[in-house]
Amino acid sequence: MQDQERDVADAEKETLTSETDDWKKYRDDDIMQQHSAIQAEQAVKVPFVGDKEPLSSLEAEYHLGNSIVLKKIKVLSEQYAAIRRTRGDGNCFFRSFMFGYLEHILDSQDHNEVHHIKANIEECKKTLQSLGYAEFTFEDFFALFLEQLDSVLQGSEDSISHDELLCRSRDPSISDYVVMFFRFVTSGEIRKRSEFFEPFILGLTNTSVEQFCKSAVEPMGEESDHVQIIALSDALGVPIRVVYLDRSSCENNSINVNHHDFIPTSSDSDVSKTTNPSITLLYRPGHYDILYPK
Amino acid sequence: MNSGNNSNTPATAAPVMPSPKQTQTTAKTVDTQSVLKRLQSELMALMMSGDSGISAFPEEDNIFCWKGTITGSKDTVFEGTEYKLSLSFPADYPFKPPKVKFETGCFHPNVDVYGNICLDILQDKWSSAYDVRTILISIQSLLGEPNISSPLNTQAAALWCNQEEYRKMVEKLYKPSV
Repeated sequence: MQDQERDVADAEKETLTSETDDWKKYRDDDIMQQHSAIQAEQAVKVPFVGDKEPLSSLEAEYHLGNSIVLKKIKVLSEQYAAIRRTRGDGNCFFRSFMFGYLEHILDSQDHNEVHHIKANIEECKKTLQSLGYAEFTFEDFFALFLEQLDSVLQGSEDSISHDELLCRSRDPSISDYVVMFFRFVTSGEIRKRSEFFEPFILGLTNTSVEQFCKSAVEPMGEESDHVQIIALSDALGVPIRVVYLDRSSCENNSINVNHHDFIPTSSDSDVSKTTNPSITLLYRPGHYDILYPK
Repeated sequence: MNSGNNSNTPATAAPVMPSPKQTQTTAKTVDTQSVLKRLQSELMALMMSGDSGISAFPEEDNIFCWKGTITGSKDTVFEGTEYKLSLSFPADYPFKPPKVKFETGCFHPNVDVYGNICLDILQDKWSSAYDVRTILISIQSLLGEPNISSPLNTQAAALWCNQEEYRKMVEKLYKPSV
């Protein structure tokens, strides 16, 4: 009888150890591989940058859901005509900004703006150098973005169409390089003005500014928050409007859709007051897409 | 970088929906030339830097596989020991980190018996801002400042609090490679 009990106990111990052995089999490689498998699955459903869809497609998403959100979408539809979705891979803010900005240049052919952003990019390069970044770690990403800027301006051999811009935005060998370019620019700006950003960062995580940049800005797939948006907008001198769509409501039950304009600190204050940002992003908790005004 | 892109993309292309298969072979679409150029720059930078206690060099005929060396820092239990490492770079480097392993056995809380290293910057916290030099410096400082809370080698983690005994263990197990 006792022997039998011991057998059972041994057997249990065996299953226990084999279970822990099983767990040990999951090496970091496996986890990373599984991670890429999940990303591949996502890729089939949503390209990096989607097609332009009417705002009503947003409504369809919530048809069973929250009435406050539905009412807010109604309010949104008075001002906005369309939405362009981006993949929820942690790079959605940068990817939305990339497409939104390059499309804006393609449509407006604003040579002054291109001149202006190029000067700022040159500054960003100097910032990274002075922070001690080895040039070869970022130069390819900078060069590739400058190439995209030139190609959306029409009239040269390398000029591209709207369709080609969309193709490039879906091609990882271009799209990911541009996202990484923005991550470098953002990180450089935060570290350059670390005194300004420190209180924001301490409010989010309990880490140093440098650690925050290393772990939450520079790695691909790390999500962006207002800290990253402020930094990118300031560094490039590009205003960004973010429209917030969530379940919050006002006390008096009136339905308002809030937005916030991120206006670069360095920009001319007169300009920033009078002009609306050309880039509008829709924020839903955890995700950014592109919005098109009417 | 986009020269190959114009030729195979008709202007009226339908939206390109990458299939999972394509995503897995992403590496191939990345320009190999730019990876080679980057690795060559890294080698130059490493040779020029003159950092003490770290070095690395590509294997013969293959710039995607490097052998590295780090020495234990002064005033740590690893002082006076030297470790060989292998670094193998994926085709989509620097978007993905190189695989780095200890070739010399290393009794350390974050290194397992096969030489695998548990270090966040070689996994989910990797970014293109790192390079061979900063990887080796990070591993060198990991030696003296292990992460005891998530050990790969639990015996080493348990012994860490007794530095005198730990040093004896390092000396006992150290087998320098020739």
